[in-house]
Amino acid sequence: MSKQTGLYICSGCDIGESLDLKALASIAIKEYNIPVCKDHHFLCGDEAVKIIKEDILKKSIDTLVICACSPRAKSDTFSFGKNIQIERVNLREQVVWSHQPGTKDTQMLAEDYVRMGIAKTEKTSIPKPYINDNLNADILVVGGGITGITAAIESAKAGYKVILVEKEKKLGGWAGKLFMQVPLSIPYDQLEDPIIYQKMKELEEIDSITVFTSSAINSISGEPGLFKVNFSANGNSQALTIGAIISATGWNPYDATKLTELGYNSLEDVITGVDLEVLAKTGKITRPSDNKEVKSVLFVQCAGSRDEKHLPYCSNFCCMTSLKQARYIRSLNEEANVYIIYQDIRTPGQYEQFYQQVQRDERIFLTKGTINGIHQHNGQILVNVQDTLLGEKISIGTDMVVLATGMTPNNSEELNLSYRQGKGLPVLKYDFPDSHFICFPYETRRTGIYAAGALRAPMDIAASMEDATGAALKAIQCIESAKKGESVHPRSGDQSYPHLYLDRCTDCKRCTEECPFGAYDETEKGTPLSNPNRCRRCGICLGACPERIINFDDFSIDSISSMIKAVYIPDEFEEKPRILIFVCENDAYPALDIAGQKRLEYSPFVRIIPVRCIGSINKAWITDALSRGFDGILQIGCKPGDDYQCHFIQGSELTKTRAENYQEALETMMLEPERVQTEFVEIDDYDKIPEIINNYVELIDEIGPNPFKDL
Amino acid sequence: MIPQNYIEPDIDFIRKVGKQSGASFKECMQCGACTVVCNLSPQENPFPRKEMIWTAWGLKEKLIGNPNLWLCHQCGDCSSYCPRGVDPANVLSSLRQINYEYYANPSFLARALNKIIFLPIVILFPAIIILLILLLAGTMQIPDGDVNYSLFFPHLHLNISFSLLVLLVAFGMVLSIKKFWSDIKNNMPGVRSYSLVKSFFSVLKTILTHKQFSKCDTHKYHYWAHMAVFWGFILLILVTLVAIANVLFFEYPMSLMHPAKITGNIAGILLVVGISIMGYQRLTNKKGTGKSTYFDWMFLIFLLLLTISGTITQLARFGNWSSAYYIYFFHLVCVWIVIIYAPYTKFGHMIYRIVAMTYAKSVGRL
Repeated sequence: MSKQTGLYICSGCDIGESLDLKALASIAIKEYNIPVCKDHHFLCGDEAVKIIKEDILKKSIDTLVICACSPRAKSDTFSFGKNIQIERVNLREQVVWSHQPGTKDTQMLAEDYVRMGIAKTEKTSIPKPYINDNLNADILVVGGGITGITAAIESAKAGYKVILVEKEKKLGGWAGKLFMQVPLSIPYDQLEDPIIYQKMKELEEIDSITVFTSSAINSISGEPGLFKVNFSANGNSQALTIGAIISATGWNPYDATKLTELGYNSLEDVITGVDLEVLAKTGKITRPSDNKEVKSVLFVQCAGSRDEKHLPYCSNFCCMTSLKQARYIRSLNEEANVYIIYQDIRTPGQYEQFYQQVQRDERIFLTKGTINGIHQHNGQILVNVQDTLLGEKISIGTDMVVLATGMTPNNSEELNLSYRQGKGLPVLKYDFPDSHFICFPYETRRTGIYAAGALRAPMDIAASMEDATGAALKAIQCIESAKKGESVHPRSGDQSYPHLYLDRCTDCKRCTEECPFGAYDETEKGTPLSNPNRCRRCGICLGACPERIINFDDFSIDSISSMIKAVYIPDEFEEKPRILIFVCENDAYPALDIAGQKRLEYSPFVRIIPVRCIGSINKAWITDALSRGFDGILQIGCKPGDDYQCHFIQGSELTKTRAENYQEALETMMLEPERVQTEFVEIDDYDKIPEIINNYVELIDEIGPNPFKDL
Repeated sequence: MIPQNYIEPDIDFIRKVGKQSGASFKECMQCGACTVVCNLSPQENPFPRKEMIWTAWGLKEKLIGNPNLWLCHQCGDCSSYCPRGVDPANVLSSLRQINYEYYANPSFLARALNKIIFLPIVILFPAIIILLILLLAGTMQIPDGDVNYSLFFPHLHLNISFSLLVLLVAFGMVLSIKKFWSDIKNNMPGVRSYSLVKSFFSVLKTILTHKQFSKCDTHKYHYWAHMAVFWGFILLILVTLVAIANVLFFEYPMSLMHPAKITGNIAGILLVVGISIMGYQRLTNKKGTGKSTYFDWMFLIFLLLLTISGTITQLARFGNWSSAYYIYFFHLVCVWIVIIYAPYTKFGHMIYRIVAMTYAKSVGRL
């Protein structure tokens, strides 16, 4: 069924003054036979919108090409129901606001964008969502510590059935092993009984939560809404279908036996914070060596933390734990002295009051310092401390030394995912499961599985409870999105999903290997098996596929190729080079819009095509553009690396390796390597983008025109 | 064997500073803002950050005979900038108070003068001694006729007895200073860059001009009030010396228009004004002055009583009041409490500060 397209040009916001709109319209009419083509001085106004709506009804228009502002603006105004396909041509931010008005080059730029917009609509359609009717909405919580229990309670309160599985015989995790707990309530200055018991009671009273202890997960397969979970509980095998999963498998203290320099292995009375909790539960703190009540305790903070030899990171909870322990040692023994040697006292959360409360104690002594030796001396432990705030090296005699060791995340392979890319959740730094840790917390690289609590990042009880609630909301969001056939973060609401034309698949496995979210499983042969609900719609598989068989309804090899081919390429003698720029929709495209808003000018020789992720660029487009006569191709994406900003984690990273493939292509075409280049920007680099573009245009100018022009 | 740099917190010391200062110095988080804003702190080994943690750790030996305590003029810049509100100025003031007691000779006098329950004894003791002297002089009665104080308390007896007492106290003070000097040298060793004489005169000039007080940013009144009290007192001492000379060599009593008399009265006004400002600030500006202890008030009130009673004594003479001799007696008791007790009260700062500043100057810390 052929489309009935209407093209509308806005002349407001400087567009009318800067461009020849009649010429633009004539392109639509003459080159593309667009039946309805209008302009208006205020296209987003009620009057114009009414005209468009009337046209839709009277002229059966199903596709709109709106040539006005950026698609990032006025998206509600230019939305005409789910049956009307909308294509936005960005004449404002990326043409008239960023280029010389009234010039031939600017006019040509606008004309090409109109051509590209129309060409795209010809090759795309409104996405048909992947909807499965038999979706399950239950939530599986793995781990019965404070995080898991809170996640279960919060999910149940929101109306979801919860299955909680715990490895140990009893629920509670580390939080259940505490003697006392740092304050969680106003005025945050007194110790409290561990909240876990209250939470466990609350959990028991909720009928929609089923708890399995002494359990282990045997396998998890499937996708959100349809996870197949096999686990054994108390020796019995169980199989369930699950909607979404919250992984709260928690942490373990850093192995103190590695801290030989702090005397953990050689001195009996050097213990860890966890050991001290166990001791304190007896009501009296005694020395392991002779069972005498201790009169002094020295805490060593950052024991093996913030130390490149051990854990390079701050575990976030140790300072508060030691302050808490100092407090209860003092309440158990009026005469005890407590020393705390720290690197920095950190009180993340609502703990400043408590810290002050502890400081106020006349027998608690704190100083920054570095431990310079711990050894036995006259029945005591003598601790030498240097770099102290007291201005000199000091020696302290103490009955006991407590090492405040950090948190290490438990291995997420306990989830036993039967995924093509492995059993666990992929990790980035320090073995914590990774997704974008700032922008998208709780998200892991396994859609529908949300990491919460100390598994995700080192955190204390208060933070874990908050985290658990966040993860529960994410799990719920995922289930509800799956029901509507929509993507979850960061393309929330996107109903498109990849279609694979498997007849032409060569089983090269690039899609199954490169998908950052492990959305594809594989047959034994290596043919991809897609799980659309696991997909985040980044298009990285589309970019990877050498056979070009992966396409979305509204984003395909053909649609972008058609846009490339729609650009008018002037011949060599006109001295008007053409540079194709692929920009990532997430950061680079908005940065370009901001550059326009700030009226920062850049070369009008560039033609910009937004893509879902820089990783979704297919090599076919590069060769298409080069053989079509583009003089250079620039790809602009988000920052790769350990502190990546790629919204799809691996996109920018993959681009770096793919760039090598492009170089091969360039070589076979006998072209200069500079003809394809990659740049990485952040959204606030809008001021740098014009410079990046202009520099590249200059570089291409130096190299000279593409020899394939006019062929 | 005690290992090197072995640290043992003195809990009693912590409690004492806490009680006297009322400051929550244990809550100091060692940010060092106090040290940064202090205009009197030297570049090398600055204060009061380190003094704060030493106090929190109860390291008494580092805070006794610490010259830094005396470089501080309690202007309150540190306290007003302290993000934790732990009031370093007040803590240092309390530490100085502990130092007076520590160095006092005999030390029981310092303890007695620092407790309100001993106040009656503190007042009665000079009263009785003066009465005994009067008994010795045989003038234990109110003389008739025009008021002439020398008939009541012969100048010879007065000058000899009070001078002897001053000498006695001064002897104790010398012993204290000797110990204090060796302690500050040990606590903050330094290379001597100025001779002691040169340092002493430099410090004297600094004190006479109130140069250190003028660096205070937070409480400007401090500079003016102390200046008034300081110069009022100095002038009165000079006037007293002139008066003694007059008794010995010239006519006595002096007339109201005698230059020394005029100076003395101006000095009296300066003192009253200065003390009033200080007292008013202590009553109304608790944040600026820190906690006012008995120690602070006792010195301030007796200095005020001394000034007022002196002025009234003078008026009583010219007016031939019948109560003149009682007022004079009271004035003498005040003189005793302020001057003779000086090394054991807050007045002792005059001596310790000069000594500590002279040392600091000599090693280039001032």
